Amino acid sequence: MCGIVGYAGPKNVGDVLIRGLERLEYRGYDSAGVAIRSDDEIYVQKKKGRISDLFQGDLPTESLGIGHTRWATHGKPADKNAHPFLDCQENISIVHNGIIDNFNSIRDELTEKGHEFSSETDSEIIAHLIEENYDGDFLKSFKKTIRELEGSYAVVAIHKGSDELVVARNQSPLVIGIGSGENLVASDAPALLDYTKNIKYLQDGDIARITNQEVEIWDEDNTLVERETKRLNWDVEDAEKGGYEHFMLKEIFEQPKAIHDSLLGRLNNFEDVDFSKYDVDSVQFIACGTSAHAGYVGRYIFEKIAKVPCTVEVSSEYRYTSSSESSPFTIFFSQSGETLDTVAAAREANRRGCDTLAVTNVLDSSITREVDEVIYTQAGPEIGVAATKTFTTQVIILYLLAIELGLARGVLSKDEAENYKDELRTLPRKVERILDDKERIKKKTKRLAEAEDIFFVGRNINYPVALEGALKLKEIAYIHAAGYPAGELKHGPFALLTEETPVIALAVRDQTFEKMLGNIGEIAARDSPVFVVGDENKELKKLADERYFIPKVPPLFSPILMNVVLQLTAYYTAYRLDRDIDKPRNLAKSVTVE
Amino acid sequence: MKAVILAAGEGTRLRPFTASEPKVMIPVANRPILEYVVESLIENGIRDIVMVVGYRRQRIMSYFGDGDDFGADIEYVVQKKQPPHGGTAHALYQAKEKIDDDFIVLPGDNVVSKNTISDLLEDITPPALLITRSDSPSKYGVVTLKKGKKEIDNLIEKPEESPSHLISTGIYSFTPKIFDYIDESMKERKYDLPSVVQKKMEDKEIRAIKTEATWIDAVYPWDLLHVNSVALGDMEKRINGLIGENVIIKGDVKIGEGTRIRGGTFIEGPAVIGEGCDIGPNACILPSTSIGDNAKIEPFTKVQNSVVMNGVQIGTNSTIENTVIGEGVRIGNNFSTFISDARVQGDDGFHEVREIGTMIAEDTEIDSGVIVEPGVIIGKNCEIRYGRTIRENIESEAKAI
Repeated sequence: MCGIVGYAGPKNVGDVLIRGLERLEYRGYDSAGVAIRSDDEIYVQKKKGRISDLFQGDLPTESLGIGHTRWATHGKPADKNAHPFLDCQENISIVHNGIIDNFNSIRDELTEKGHEFSSETDSEIIAHLIEENYDGDFLKSFKKTIRELEGSYAVVAIHKGSDELVVARNQSPLVIGIGSGENLVASDAPALLDYTKNIKYLQDGDIARITNQEVEIWDEDNTLVERETKRLNWDVEDAEKGGYEHFMLKEIFEQPKAIHDSLLGRLNNFEDVDFSKYDVDSVQFIACGTSAHAGYVGRYIFEKIAKVPCTVEVSSEYRYTSSSESSPFTIFFSQSGETLDTVAAAREANRRGCDTLAVTNVLDSSITREVDEVIYTQAGPEIGVAATKTFTTQVIILYLLAIELGLARGVLSKDEAENYKDELRTLPRKVERILDDKERIKKKTKRLAEAEDIFFVGRNINYPVALEGALKLKEIAYIHAAGYPAGELKHGPFALLTEETPVIALAVRDQTFEKMLGNIGEIAARDSPVFVVGDENKELKKLADERYFIPKVPPLFSPILMNVVLQLTAYYTAYRLDRDIDKPRNLAKSVTVE
Repeated sequence: MKAVILAAGEGTRLRPFTASEPKVMIPVANRPILEYVVESLIENGIRDIVMVVGYRRQRIMSYFGDGDDFGADIEYVVQKKQPPHGGTAHALYQAKEKIDDDFIVLPGDNVVSKNTISDLLEDITPPALLITRSDSPSKYGVVTLKKGKKEIDNLIEKPEESPSHLISTGIYSFTPKIFDYIDESMKERKYDLPSVVQKKMEDKEIRAIKTEATWIDAVYPWDLLHVNSVALGDMEKRINGLIGENVIIKGDVKIGEGTRIRGGTFIEGPAVIGEGCDIGPNACILPSTSIGDNAKIEPFTKVQNSVVMNGVQIGTNSTIENTVIGEGVRIGNNFSTFISDARVQGDDGFHEVREIGTMIAEDTEIDSGVIVEPGVIIGKNCEIRYGRTIRENIESEAKAI
């Protein structure tokens, strides 16, 4: 999922590259860099981190350059592994997407010839191989180099003595943007759309030479060819959303795959954390916001499966509690791994002598350096500010951890573990069934969109789901919502119930079900409209004004499904109110302030 | 050149397997039918794809996204309401705004190969229609050619008596002018492409281009077995996952990441097993079988010439032959299917089907000891209790206790 941008033209090249890279941000990235040819030198700046943080100093303003965003999937994100790469003499710079299959043999050959490499990547060899093949004609040496590569690639290269971008593609996307007096190249059209809508698509095996005045393309037989110029008529954001109206909805619908990816390889062979190294007699979960709600769910999961007492703390509070005598095994959650409060809490937990584990979605993020163990949710990039698939995958990881801990502590039999794993396997499918019902859920949100206050109530493992449902609604629909344990309503909030305050009640067939029926009865008696989400049941049908029944699932695994219903509920409520769903007011995706 | 893929229909004759996904997303050899279409286009250098989507479109959009992962640029247009009797022209019309040059249009629900598309591209001057031979032409649009010429004389949809063995693949090349013809045709309440094409033939000849490359259609659920076995044909051996002791793997077998094949299991290809599965010990997977992601097959169970979709769990000592099992189906121990020729009740009447086992739609739960007679279709989300023998079709959501 890396991004490439290249520019040749009269505009401020630094600005153009950064603008282009920002357009590719939606693909997710962990490091970025640019190389600019200026006064016959190549100036490179690259770093792990955010684009906005990277390029605060002045970049050269002319005359051509290349840029890259990298999303590490194998190998760490680090300054040295960021693109662009230089050859030994710093004459040539390249950016690359894809995988070079024969990189080991090329690297060995080049090392023998005296080339020195600064990174572990397969991409860097391309710069050195061009250097090796260089005989005064940059394009010729580039073509020779490309012919030696096996694998998939989109490559853009520049030479300090040349006015051209040379590019090649094979099985990785690359498009050329045709401007007037300027030309561009990028891995994806959105990066170009601020400058031109005239696009040439390269085909596999194509090599091109791009200057500010002209574009020449050769096919795989090295025949000069004409590739048709097309005019794009779609706008940038639409392309990125792949047919969905909002990133949030897209990400909600990506959850079956995200669950599958998070389970992949772990159900049959869990290697992420070895609990036998630790003596775990209590566990605490620390996180903020939605991640903290995952922690609350985790408490029920761990107590049930791993039979270990648990507590949950909010990061910003934990840091200022007085140090306790005990040092529980501590698990942190942060989607970005950069949440400042949580990173600081991890530091504090270390000081207090706790063994620590971080659950995060971003490889090698800040929190991973503060903890003993790391496990990654395989949710993929999440763009919508309201967390959806990252919560779901955090909870999935909790089931896996609890099973492993239960086995390590000797409180869970192999057979029970297998049964739990069988249930996990069925979850992607069950989530999909709920997503198929989106129109039904949408219809039920009409009354919610008219409300000023909404209560969410649940018991046991679905109590934190009520908290999360309320949070989602607040975040994106701007409706005041509060989550309560169902038994707590009569200790105060009852005073607020009127026929104008809808209550969303979560009821699954666990040991609290009868009590929950009683609670719902009490609410209905106050004339509040009740929307029940839960297991199919005749009594519930009678009591509720609106109802949605989830696919059959043991109560322990119900939070995943219940929460997806609440995500869709929040989404469609916000949709009816025409809210800015992907960028709610006053909120940021990654909270890096205290 | 742009391609428009028509992927808005449900594919009702494949019910109950289209209950939650459109026909184009039904997996054969573990990939949606539509992916074969997209891949064939890309292999021919066609990357600008407009998909006309409608029924259960999220399934399509979540899978293909903006096309990046496939090396294509995919745009979506939605066909909101479908005309009552087929509406391929109406569907195509939805893509009008995205088209300003010659283009090709193709149905998303037929498995095609690279060569199928290149046969059209070689002689593409629009308007042209790609045709192929069929042994059972009356299921399709039958084409007759003008004597000694390549131009189409007539195109008759699903005739009772078919005048030739040549059928339309539904793959056309057009100029943007086609939209004017569709406009006119829709005024006469004719919404399907063959009607439009008939009209067009009156003033400009449509050339027929014949292909012998892959073009297969799954019209009814039992057709999925054939399509699956053909799609498995050109698969390469690739083994990921954890392979236990004494596992025997013969022929072209593909096993996905994170899958565990437990000891003593025998697998003979062509067969594909998805990601995150748990198979065996001592299970037996025989040729022409596809098993989706996150499936579990317990000891001493045999699966042969079958399509087993994502998330299916099958208990021990069971026999699955010539059978289609939908997503999320859970089956207990000692479950048996049998093969024989059968009279199968489809959505549109009875059909004689050769060598068929059974067809079970998504999320149905079957307890141990159930026996199903050949040709039976069990609907989605049914519950079937211990020891029953199922002799006839079961409606979706039914409980057989």
